[in-house]
Amino acid sequence: MEFDIRYKPAHTLAVCNLNPNEMVRAEAGAMVSMTRNIQVEAAARNKDEGMGKRLLKGLKRMALGGESFFTNTYTATTQPGHVTFAPSLTGDMIVHDCQGEQLIIQGSSYVAAPDSITIDTQFQGMKGFFSGESMFFLTATGYGPVLLNAFGAIETLDLNGEMIVDTGHLVAFTAGINYSVIKASGGWISSFLSGEGLVLKMQGQGRVYVQSRNPSEYGATVGAMLPPRSN
Amino acid sequence: MQHQIEFGPSFAWLKVQLAPNEMIQAESGSMVRHTVGLQMDTRLNAGRKAGFFAKIKAFFVAILRKFLGGETAFVNDFHGPQGGEVVFAPSVSGSIMHQQLDGNRKLYIQSSAYMASTGDVDTKLKFGGLKSMLGGEGLVLQVCSGTGDVFINSYGGITAVPVNGTFVVDTGHIVAFEESLNFKLKGVSGGLKSFFLSGEGLVCEFSGQGTVWIQSRNLSALVGWLTPHLRP
Repeated sequence: MEFDIRYKPAHTLAVCNLNPNEMVRAEAGAMVSMTRNIQVEAAARNKDEGMGKRLLKGLKRMALGGESFFTNTYTATTQPGHVTFAPSLTGDMIVHDCQGEQLIIQGSSYVAAPDSITIDTQFQGMKGFFSGESMFFLTATGYGPVLLNAFGAIETLDLNGEMIVDTGHLVAFTAGINYSVIKASGGWISSFLSGEGLVLKMQGQGRVYVQSRNPSEYGATVGAMLPPRSN
Repeated sequence: MQHQIEFGPSFAWLKVQLAPNEMIQAESGSMVRHTVGLQMDTRLNAGRKAGFFAKIKAFFVAILRKFLGGETAFVNDFHGPQGGEVVFAPSVSGSIMHQQLDGNRKLYIQSSAYMASTGDVDTKLKFGGLKSMLGGEGLVLQVCSGTGDVFINSYGGITAVPVNGTFVVDTGHIVAFEESLNFKLKGVSGGLKSFFLSGEGLVCEFSGQGTVWIQSRNLSALVGWLTPHLRP
């Protein structure tokens, strides 16, 4: 299986080429097109999980991880085939090759992965509450490619040390990196007036994916021009 | 200082490497990431040599701008004793361009298009005529003068048009223009009827000699498209 990413970075389309009997699992709504010989199983069960556990995991993912409740599996039958995926917002997509280490993904950035990757949610604790992201991140563990999407273009940063990243610009990072939530500048008032508020201090060694646009900033800019909601 | 504009023309961002104690001023909220050695100071966007009354005036103008154009009153200065790297991004999709000011020419920049500047580049607010405030179409401009770099962002791609004579641009598509050009705001063929019926709103007629930078998308058009889709 391999992902072929096209039309970067604005209206990116990911083509997933599957060999016979290969399978990719993707979040619901991501599929754009596929060849005739792809078999789709909606809300497919994860290999060894029973109904109850699957339901719980799905709920956890939806309520907490910002992902949809359902995942679909796409399997090529006797012939090779392909499925194309696209996210709902304009932006870039990238494939992270997992080699056993864990990849921590911010909310809505996960698109697809084969079953050799286990997707779960991770509670971020109180710092998640302040980070401006969701309180739960998704974790991807295993061996294989993970398809991520972002709002804006994606920058791949190999970090060895520290970096301050604005909340809302973080896509994903590998487990060797820790983050803490800090004020953007010295005082509380200046942090608020600066427009940055709280920022994330990333520390450690590993890879960080950063997106070149901030969904909340975009929402605030366009939202300010929209007519008020009449309640 | 070195700079790179990456991921253009759709999702461009500005990467800057600052030397020790070198400073860049950027509009609030635009920072994406920066190295730990840099510090950020926030101040009122009042122009560098502003006295007390100029600051008060700037404060009220900023409040006004916030209601009319969603602009913010504050800017952030980034600098550090060892220098470092800082990355800025605008809020909407589009491009970024760099202009060098050498003290001899001034640039008029659409208020939401100003992103960052260095050196002693000073920015002052100018309204494109009070009547242009009607229907939120008006032109709120930042006049940039001094010596240094100016970084300008757009909604969509940017193209430079050299004007020699007259040239008409829809106000929502103006990014920036040189001071040497005269500009006049009007309805697309004059008169109130064309203002309401043409769907074009206000246009800006440029005359003289100079460059106009225009953007390939119009934010009010996006808003107009989104509005009927909103849930009541």
